[in-house]
Amino acid sequence: MGDLVEQLVHGLTLGSLYAMVATGLALMFGVVRLINFAHGEFYMLGGYAFWYAYGELGLPYPAAALVATAAMGVFGLVYERSVIRTILSRTWHVQLIATLATSITLTNLAILVFGTQPKEVPTRLSSVIVEVGGVRLAWQRVVVLAAAVVIFAGLEWFVTRAKLGKAMRAMSQNREACAVVGVDVQRVALATFGISAALAGAAAALVSPLFNIFPDVGSLLTLKAFAAVIVGGFGFVKGAIAAAFLIGLAESLAAGYVSYAYKDAIAFVVMVLVLLVRPQGLFGRRIGI
Amino acid sequence: MRWTVFAAFLIVVPWLVAAALPGQQRYILHVLIFTTLYGALALSYDLVVGHVGSLSLAHPAFFGIGAYTAALLATEARWPFTIALAAGIALAGLVALALGVPMFRLTEHSFAMGTLGFAIVTQIVATNWVDFTHGPLCVTGIPKPQWGALRVATLPAFYWMGLATVALVGLLYHGLTTFRLGRAFHAVRDNQTLAAAASIDPLRYRMLAFVVGGAVAGGVGTLYVSYVGVLCPGELTVSLSVNLLVMIFLGGVGSLRGVLVGAAAFTALPEVLRMAPTWRMVIYGLLLLVIVIRAPEGLEGLIRRGSALGRRPFSSRA
Amino acid sequence: MALFEARGLTKRFLGVTAVDAVDLTLEAGELVSLIGPNGSGKTTLFNCVTGYLTPDAGRVLFRGRDVTGVAAHRIARLGLGRTFQLVSVFPRLSALENLLTFLQQHQEESVVARLVRTPRVRRFEAAAIERARTLLESVGLAARADAPAGSLSYGQRKLLAFAAALMPDPDLLLLDEPAAAVNPTMIQQMKEQIRALHRQGKTVLLVEHNMDVVMDISQRVVVLDHGQKIAEGPPEAVRRDAKVVEAYFGR
Repeated sequence: MGDLVEQLVHGLTLGSLYAMVATGLALMFGVVRLINFAHGEFYMLGGYAFWYAYGELGLPYPAAALVATAAMGVFGLVYERSVIRTILSRTWHVQLIATLATSITLTNLAILVFGTQPKEVPTRLSSVIVEVGGVRLAWQRVVVLAAAVVIFAGLEWFVTRAKLGKAMRAMSQNREACAVVGVDVQRVALATFGISAALAGAAAALVSPLFNIFPDVGSLLTLKAFAAVIVGGFGFVKGAIAAAFLIGLAESLAAGYVSYAYKDAIAFVVMVLVLLVRPQGLFGRRIGI
Repeated sequence: MRWTVFAAFLIVVPWLVAAALPGQQRYILHVLIFTTLYGALALSYDLVVGHVGSLSLAHPAFFGIGAYTAALLATEARWPFTIALAAGIALAGLVALALGVPMFRLTEHSFAMGTLGFAIVTQIVATNWVDFTHGPLCVTGIPKPQWGALRVATLPAFYWMGLATVALVGLLYHGLTTFRLGRAFHAVRDNQTLAAAASIDPLRYRMLAFVVGGAVAGGVGTLYVSYVGVLCPGELTVSLSVNLLVMIFLGGVGSLRGVLVGAAAFTALPEVLRMAPTWRMVIYGLLLLVIVIRAPEGLEGLIRRGSALGRRPFSSRA
Repeated sequence: MALFEARGLTKRFLGVTAVDAVDLTLEAGELVSLIGPNGSGKTTLFNCVTGYLTPDAGRVLFRGRDVTGVAAHRIARLGLGRTFQLVSVFPRLSALENLLTFLQQHQEESVVARLVRTPRVRRFEAAAIERARTLLESVGLAARADAPAGSLSYGQRKLLAFAAALMPDPDLLLLDEPAAAVNPTMIQQMKEQIRALHRQGKTVLLVEHNMDVVMDISQRVVVLDHGQKIAEGPPEAVRRDAKVVEAYFGR
């Protein structure tokens, strides 16, 4: 029984990670209709940024987490400005190949700079194990889940109350109308990328103490995040979040009870099943984020 | 006439190399063998991407399925080479058929992701199903090809086999992408709605390109492992998709000559430059990025830009 | 037996009923126009009967055979040709090749036969090329036969699309706004082409906004408003129908 709860907790941790990354992907697709194959690399780079800030520079955890988040935010802005802006008007083939190419470049650059050996960044909270009713879990996991909830609540507030957030939501529903009413479409696109990347960076800062950081970690993550976006219904952020948790839990349970080696295949299997049975996603075809 | 001369030149290359650069002969032939195999593989990929417009990322899986089928049949079951080759081609084609049915119901992005997911899962299975595929321990001792009484053992022999392969695949490619079949493929690629109004079934032609492309990839996989002698799961990574994309976009997507030039440039250049694998991938990534944005028609398109019939496969649509 | 029949055809999108229980019958050889204000469901109706959309209710019969929900490429194969509102060609194929594409599926040959180019296939191709050249001639595009369709002007592409639809010699031709966005000379040409088809005994259904064209060439006019058929009859009768006037001007 304790075993099951541990698996569930692990599933929630995974789900939080996938949800944060998937949200970024869903936001980008919702607002500018672009699938960013390099999204997992935002997480990867965020992880290395966190490692550097916490492990090498010795900053306290909150500061290091902030550094990672901010660094990725900036990276997201730069990425939008340089790569994305050039390909926004092109066909989806070009967009897909361009972001895939970026992904490969970033991954291999990371290998050159950081080496292939995974980096471990244990924090005090990840090492402190607490026992709750016969279940042993690291405090960090609680932090992850709590932070995820806070972040998603913040995001919801953002798209319903904040001017920029409302503009993002409007753009995801009707881009042309936004341009007509005077919304600075380019600025909103830029901000979306900054936010999406920052989300990935925050996820990395939260989860890296528990899992290792290595250059290749991004590619599988992109796939799983994309699976969540598809299962949740393209572009629909809340759906992606729900789907991400579903996938995280499924993966954890499968790893524990079916087979550890094939756990990474779970996300894909779930995705294909949903695509075959209900192509518009579990939560239907909603317009906008 | 020019073609015959060129073909004759290609055939005598091993002797030319032996005469001109005797010390380098093994190395140069090795590179050339890889070039021919990659050329054939790139052509099979271009069928799907360039002519029917489906951005599949599953090709490494078909290559791998053909490779593993033949490797295991040859080493474990001791099947003769020709049968193992046929099995590799057939199984890869069948898997493509099975995969295509659900995949082609998806829209573009989902199709790309779905095929990518399949490739990743295939790699995961190859790595972890150690009992069957030997996993990271690799399948070793794969025997050399045996075409009846003819045994392919020397480097020149492998080169000629590679040459014959790329010639055959090229012939198939040409037959499929010109005349009526070519028109049907291109109609589906360029205007699917209108193609249907012309009684052309988009699904049928997409499946045709996908299955033929997959089967050929499986065949190339078989030949590849019979040359290298060893098969590890690392052969089926996503990197192969990126490499193939670089090849076809660098040379000219949708063009026989372009794709072959791209494959040759891609395989020969790093050997010439003696680049380390990781740096190689960084360069390829950047190269692909620049090419797909600035010159999506590749070298072939740049050449053709001079003539009136300039083609722009993936340039922006207003 | 009527050549074409739509019975109680209904199509809904997200709560809006685009086509509402429409009945439409075409006898062989008729020239009928389908008119109505913008958004009245004309193109949706076209898409439902040509297999691009599946109707939510009702049936479509072609030569007495139920083709409701049949895929577009199969319906085209049965002898139902159409053009599109936004002119549609294969931009990278030449004008001639555009036409050839429309006939090739009607000449039975297997994939292998086409791959190997058997003599039979070559004969079909030669025959197709001849027919294509004749059609290009008839629409005045013979000089541009080898030009890529993407390089033609809008009006030329419209004529090309028209010729392409005629390549497989369809029994029923559905034309979606053939006179839209073209100059008066071209409109005259279009009218002549359609009249010629009528004289040849072809059945034509056109969607049109240009009232001159509609009144001038139609034998019968069907009027849609908000997805419903509100009037049907000879042009002059429909023009004076109070409901039709209200639909166009009343609101």
